[in-house]
Amino acid sequence: MPKTITEQNLRLLIDTLVKEGTRVVGPRAAGTMTLYEPLATGEELHLGELPRRSAKEAFFPLCETILTYEKDKEGVKVSDIDPARFPETVLIGARPCDVAAAPVLDAVFSWDFKDEFFLERRRKTTIIGLACTKADDACFCTAVGLSPSDTKGSDLFLTPLKDGGYRCDVVTEKGEALLSAHAGLFADGTGEPLPLAEPTLGKLDLEKIRNWLDSHFEDPLWEEIAQRCAGCGACAFLCPACHCFDIVDEGGEQKGARRKSWDACGFGKFTGHASGHNPRDVQPQRYRNRIMHKFKYYHDKFGQRLCTGCGRCIRACPVGIDIAAVLEEINNK
Amino acid sequence: MTNSAQTIDPALYAAVTDAVRAEARKVLESGAVAAVVGWQAGRRAGTAMPTIVTDPAKAADLIFSPACVNNLALYLTKAKKEVRGKGKIAIVAKGCDLKALVGLMGENQLKREELHIIGVVCAGVQGAAADRSLPLSEATIAGKCRECTVHTPENTDVTVGTLTELPHFTPTESAELARLEAMTPAERWSFWKEHFSRCIRCYACRQVCPFCYCEQCLCDRNRPQAVETTPRPAGNMAWHIVRAMHLAGRCAGCAECERACPMDIPLNLLNRKMARELKELYGHEAGFKPKEKGPLAEYREDDDQSFIK
Ligand code: SF4
Ligand code: SF4
Ligand code: SF4
Repeated sequence: MPKTITEQNLRLLIDTLVKEGTRVVGPRAAGTMTLYEPLATGEELHLGELPRRSAKEAFFPLCETILTYEKDKEGVKVSDIDPARFPETVLIGARPCDVAAAPVLDAVFSWDFKDEFFLERRRKTTIIGLACTKADDACFCTAVGLSPSDTKGSDLFLTPLKDGGYRCDVVTEKGEALLSAHAGLFADGTGEPLPLAEPTLGKLDLEKIRNWLDSHFEDPLWEEIAQRCAGCGACAFLCPACHCFDIVDEGGEQKGARRKSWDACGFGKFTGHASGHNPRDVQPQRYRNRIMHKFKYYHDKFGQRLCTGCGRCIRACPVGIDIAAVLEEINNK
Repeated sequence: MTNSAQTIDPALYAAVTDAVRAEARKVLESGAVAAVVGWQAGRRAGTAMPTIVTDPAKAADLIFSPACVNNLALYLTKAKKEVRGKGKIAIVAKGCDLKALVGLMGENQLKREELHIIGVVCAGVQGAAADRSLPLSEATIAGKCRECTVHTPENTDVTVGTLTELPHFTPTESAELARLEAMTPAERWSFWKEHFSRCIRCYACRQVCPFCYCEQCLCDRNRPQAVETTPRPAGNMAWHIVRAMHLAGRCAGCAECERACPMDIPLNLLNRKMARELKELYGHEAGFKPKEKGPLAEYREDDDQSFIK
């Protein structure tokens, strides 16, 4: 039986979850922008615009400690961080282009090495996705095989209705469990949905693009596009699918911590070797890796692509590099 | 024509565009330069991006519009060796971009005779959150342009465009600086602490800065680590202090760092504050004449030493 929930009850759901001790993460107004942040109350939910950074940080935080060390008379004591202590979380109001990246990332984080930091958070998170009714000229989810109503990765899925409130579709058992635990906040019915967002970029032939990439590791295109690249991490840090990280030890001789934080293949030192040699020594080679990883390597290995068309890298690039334009250009070759 | 009083006429940019194309074509065809660094239109309406043109036929891709925000001096630094390696370069520069070129000359990073500077008369560029479909106005113009004194660049090889009367814009940057200076040190500390806590260490600010050309940034070092590289309060604060100090007296005020910052941290406000300090302490200002040594790279006996207690 299809369900609906009013705007008020959606906020009440957040209040209830918070009271029960669940961590609720959702779009929240943060100064000049919206960010996915822990919500203290339902009132804080701010669904008006796409958050500046993606929802990946619900599973893959900007920075986290993975162990700490301390030296005493007996020697060095190393303490692991126990992922079991991560809280049960509900990610609410996340856009399809953010949510769809979560199952894509599962592949790499559970491949040869099981990254318990990521996987434990994933296991403990229930995702309430939200259909998208507003696209801008950087959005292109429909061009990479998704859509503003794609439920990929969601456990429950909300669709905004014309008369206010949302239709709520159950996508997984996890979603079903959350819904039935709070059944009183939902009503039976469907309602008339608001029109969905309409990204303007036409469909891309991703298979064709992959084939082109396969045979054009060396191509003048890379320099043409990427000699302007400034080599910052804005694109990768904002991207829902980029997942490279660095591990550093910080602290002193007596005590300190080993930390994991976001990294970016655009950084000059990303592939720097201890010898001083750098296999990707100019920016076009780094940008090529960005495209290759997203549209070829990851697909070769895991059958999925590292781009959901959210457009964040396009909006954020300080030198105007537009990944959709790059894909379009390859598509038209 | 009440409208023209409030918005900037797009025809101004169209005329500059034509002239830039003609000049670029000329210098490329004659072989006077190997490449022209300028801007070209982006896929999305009302956007632009830096471009490096070597083929005279491609000179027609060049544009000048309110979307031409980038300071192209970045592409002439040693961070962009591939570009410099091409030979003598022509660069399209707004008045505010010129200060960076001059600064780089002062630091022996560039030689005037190796450059062909195509100055563009500039009425302003758009602010970061501007609606790109509108002409420039009080609502859409960038902060730095509201207080611009260099609409017509000087000491170029050629300057294209003619300035018409511009609307009056309310200054915002100097108002913010005054607000900052009116704060107590404790208030200022918490103001910056709050802003820096949002930094994600993407280094967009560093990477677009024409003066951040160090081949080994201290803040990237890990053996030993000088500044914590993880985006946490301590490392963020250290990174921003290093950045502010290292750019003091060098920053050309183009505000590219602030524009590039995805977390909207008001970096140019800090730059401006530092510039003011340097002016007060050493009478130094980033200007249009190359100076060999900035105040923080030079010792003079008459330097203020009152801070030594
Ligand atoms: S590559 Fe760009 S458009 Fe694609 S998912 Fe990442 S940020 Fe979004
Ligand atoms: S500061 Fe002046 S020269 Fe620079 S972009 Fe603004 S109006 Fe143009
Ligand atoms: S651009 Fe902004 S977020 Fe990125 S490192 Fe600089 S201040 Fe931090």
